[in-house]
Amino acid sequence: MDSVAIILFSILVFIGFINVYSVTSDVNQTGFQLSAIATRQLIWIAGSALIILTIAFANVVLVEYLSYYVYGFIILLNILVLFIGKEVAGAKSWFGFGGFGIQPSEFAKIATSMALAKFLGGYGMKFKGWKNISISLALFLIPMVIVLFQNDTGSALVYLSFFLVLYREGLPGYILVISIWIGILSIISIYLNSLNISFGYLYGILLGISSILVYFGRKNRQFVILVLSISIGSSLFSGVVGLAYNKVFKVYQKDRIEIVLGLKEDKRGMGYNLEQSKIAIGAGRIEGRGFMKGSQTKMGFVPEQHTDFIFCTIGEEWGFLGVTFFFGMYLMLLLRLIFLAERQSDVYGRILGYSAASILFFHWFVNIGMTIGLVPVIGIPLPFVSFGGSSLWGFTFLLFVFLRYDQVRKS
Amino acid sequence: MIDIHKQRYKTFIVIFVLFFLLFLYRVASLQLFNNEYEQKAINNALNKITLYPARSVIYDRNHKIIAKNLVMYDLFIFPREIEPKNRDFLCEVLEIDTAKYNDLLLESWIKSKKRQKNNAYNHSALFYSNLTERQYTVIRENLYRLKGFYIEPRTDRSYEIVGGAHAFGYLGEASEDLLKNDPYYQPGDLVGITGIEKYYEPYMRGRKGIRTVWQDRTYRERGVVNDDSFNYPAIAGPDFISSMDLELQQYAEKLLSGKRGSIVAIEPGSGEVLAFVNKPDYNPNDLIGQGRNKEFRKMLIDPKKPLYNRAVKGVYPPGSTVKTVLALIGLQEEVIVPESRKGCGGGYRMGSITVGCHPHGGPLDLEGSIQISCNSYYCALFREIIDNPKYANVQQGYEQLAKHWRSFGLGEPTGIDLLGESGGNIPSVEQLNRRHGPKWRSSMVISLGIGQGEILLTPLQLANVAAILANRGYYYTPHIVKSINGIRDVEWQKKFKTKHYTSIDRIHYETVVAGMSKVMQPGGTAFAASVNDIEICGKTGTAQNPHGKDHSLFIAFAPKENPKIAIAVIVENGGFGATYAAPIATLMIEKYLKHPQTSSKTAMEKRILETVLEF
Ligand SMILES: [Zn+2]
Repeated sequence: MDSVAIILFSILVFIGFINVYSVTSDVNQTGFQLSAIATRQLIWIAGSALIILTIAFANVVLVEYLSYYVYGFIILLNILVLFIGKEVAGAKSWFGFGGFGIQPSEFAKIATSMALAKFLGGYGMKFKGWKNISISLALFLIPMVIVLFQNDTGSALVYLSFFLVLYREGLPGYILVISIWIGILSIISIYLNSLNISFGYLYGILLGISSILVYFGRKNRQFVILVLSISIGSSLFSGVVGLAYNKVFKVYQKDRIEIVLGLKEDKRGMGYNLEQSKIAIGAGRIEGRGFMKGSQTKMGFVPEQHTDFIFCTIGEEWGFLGVTFFFGMYLMLLLRLIFLAERQSDVYGRILGYSAASILFFHWFVNIGMTIGLVPVIGIPLPFVSFGGSSLWGFTFLLFVFLRYDQVRKS
Repeated sequence: MIDIHKQRYKTFIVIFVLFFLLFLYRVASLQLFNNEYEQKAINNALNKITLYPARSVIYDRNHKIIAKNLVMYDLFIFPREIEPKNRDFLCEVLEIDTAKYNDLLLESWIKSKKRQKNNAYNHSALFYSNLTERQYTVIRENLYRLKGFYIEPRTDRSYEIVGGAHAFGYLGEASEDLLKNDPYYQPGDLVGITGIEKYYEPYMRGRKGIRTVWQDRTYRERGVVNDDSFNYPAIAGPDFISSMDLELQQYAEKLLSGKRGSIVAIEPGSGEVLAFVNKPDYNPNDLIGQGRNKEFRKMLIDPKKPLYNRAVKGVYPPGSTVKTVLALIGLQEEVIVPESRKGCGGGYRMGSITVGCHPHGGPLDLEGSIQISCNSYYCALFREIIDNPKYANVQQGYEQLAKHWRSFGLGEPTGIDLLGESGGNIPSVEQLNRRHGPKWRSSMVISLGIGQGEILLTPLQLANVAAILANRGYYYTPHIVKSINGIRDVEWQKKFKTKHYTSIDRIHYETVVAGMSKVMQPGGTAFAASVNDIEICGKTGTAQNPHGKDHSLFIAFAPKENPKIAIAVIVENGGFGATYAAPIATLMIEKYLKHPQTSSKTAMEKRILETVLEF
């Protein structure tokens, strides 16, 4: 298997372990002493080593063949967990086994990417036509909706990264552009709505811009129609968002969104967590406060400090140098995955590669963005680094199934 | 298979690299371009717990404990932690209403916020100080369910033996001003407000200690910080040995009770204050603990002014008591000799003005003039001094007199170890010029010769004059603190262990002392107050009081040779000096020198103890 990717993977897992070790150790601890949580993380890491070994000798052709079955099985598990799962932090997405828990949604991503790869990699398949596109979308929107029902918003949002994969496979670029425009419009609408500013200003500006564009492009009838429909569509959309925002989102969700947008200062509630997270990272300065010396994360001022907010420990204890190193390793892994994906001779392998890269990027984006206050607080783990077996094993599967596929196809 | 979207991988690379750079920039802005987070993190996790030292224990000169420390309990809170459901319980225990509870809560929010300048409310703050015994017990038993509350011990004063309220002073909570100006103090700290508690506050308070602990988000202690610069113990204030004699002090308080006035007794050979009494006064035990503020406000508006320290703040015309000083000045200025006699026809006449005198026989010499307290003698002497042809005019003559007076420590504060002392008044030439016009003559200021008019003294200054007479010409700055254990304060030593000489030669004192001795003998103004077997030297005084009955004054020292005690007594509206002030002084002297259970002068003691003057 690709040794560069394996080395980068190992470095990230190691970074994760030492930070989990540090943040869960005792305050005045000297010498090596494993906390209960660090011990469990070590077991998870050993488990993922076993998984890698298993994959290394697995028949990948069989895996490709089984893609739909794996997908179906995992989807069933995810539905099952809705009924017999146990609730952790408001999300009903865990199977409990004694002291350990398994989150099937972590494995749904890999299963989804396999099914999508299988579908689009089929003989003579072209990513064109309503039928094919609809099936492709359904393949990842179905698990997304199921995970939403598990009340795990963060994990559900991850499925949006498959849009990136589809883009590589030929999804028209303007769809991405429209998506981004929708995002911008939504944010503007929420601003106007929260600040009680009339939407008339937005409509006025849209009308003004489109009038000017229509005036200069009045010769081109198609252009005029395009501009007018975008303008009217945008106005309608923002109006609907403004109304829907109040109805659809719960208060705490609105709080999170508004705090990130800077509309609300709440240093004791949700904002308190964000503030503490920023304090932790900021306290690291250039060199960091030193291994096991980050009081901000160790003393529990940062919430979920060994799972979703593990990056705070990296920032606090290893400083800007540590963060740069960590970002560098992570980025190199993503770029390596793109490189490996591009050298695949078949669509199946390429989609596996792009799925891994896109999902890892999305997780990184939301997780880090949340700790530094650029993205609303959405609980999703930092791949390979956050404490937790399901996520570590899930990402290990995601990465190594592709690496194994790459190895077999190359030879 | 043709891959027409092959080039799209570049978009991925651009997006990935762009976002990594953007996030790295954001991290840099937190870590590198912003330096407040580091301090915030430290403020969060380190809780500095103040360790309160015990205040100095105060002993009297015989090593009897006067003021010691009592452990009291304060209720602290972590404002973020508290639960509304506990409100009613606490209101009931603390006997406050909901509005008051909310006020206290708001205050502690503010205090907590002040402790941590920039973020969150992670620090504890004082919520309620000085819990009563019952409150402490009830709250401690229920502490497990009072989330966010905890109890801290601290010390307050307790008085073993009651007495000397105005000398020792009282404690109070540090004022806003003090908190602003001295970072040592925190809200709720007790500081000396008056007396030696205030004067010696920097010693008395000891030194606070600090224990720094790691504290997690739920305020649970997670161990002491392993760094000595973060931890040091509280150091108790050093033991104070006061010069006061508590037995004498309490006797003085008994003698003066029911009257208004002051008694100050000094050991002449050292300047140490033996007794220091004002009446009306207060019980220092009223100004401790929870009732402190309430009692204090009550005393502030009490028309009897129990907080008023008249011994150092009250100024009185000294009356005839200062004839002793004038006699000394006359001898020093050589306008008289001890044998000089002056006639008296029941008063001193200058044209239309007459200063009356009580009937007595023949022209008196100096000793006789003191014994009888002849007004005519001192009016004449006063004029001779300031009209002395040695000096160009009356102003210069008077200035010479004032200089002598000032050498007795008059006209300016003595410098006793109490704050807010008045200097009394020795009128300056300018003051007299303003009052009488620039061309005044000796006859116009004649009342100064018999201690009336613009001349004003504090009881302490008067006692110091008695000490000077006892010492035949020098004094030590009076002081209430004899020594501070383990403290070597050079400034303090210099201030209180230096002899100050008057401008009068020692030889002249013997004549005046002889006269003062005769005051206590048959024919003397205070003969009735004399005590067997003790050779007391005294001088009576009666100060005219424009607002009511005259004040009764007396200064004395004893024994005549090697005096052990000098004393001044003022009884407001007590009439003649011989009536109340003299017996009180001689009873005090007997008590101090002989320690009798009851005075040898049973009837006199009984009369004084039972006298209640209405005013
Ligand atoms: Zn006379």
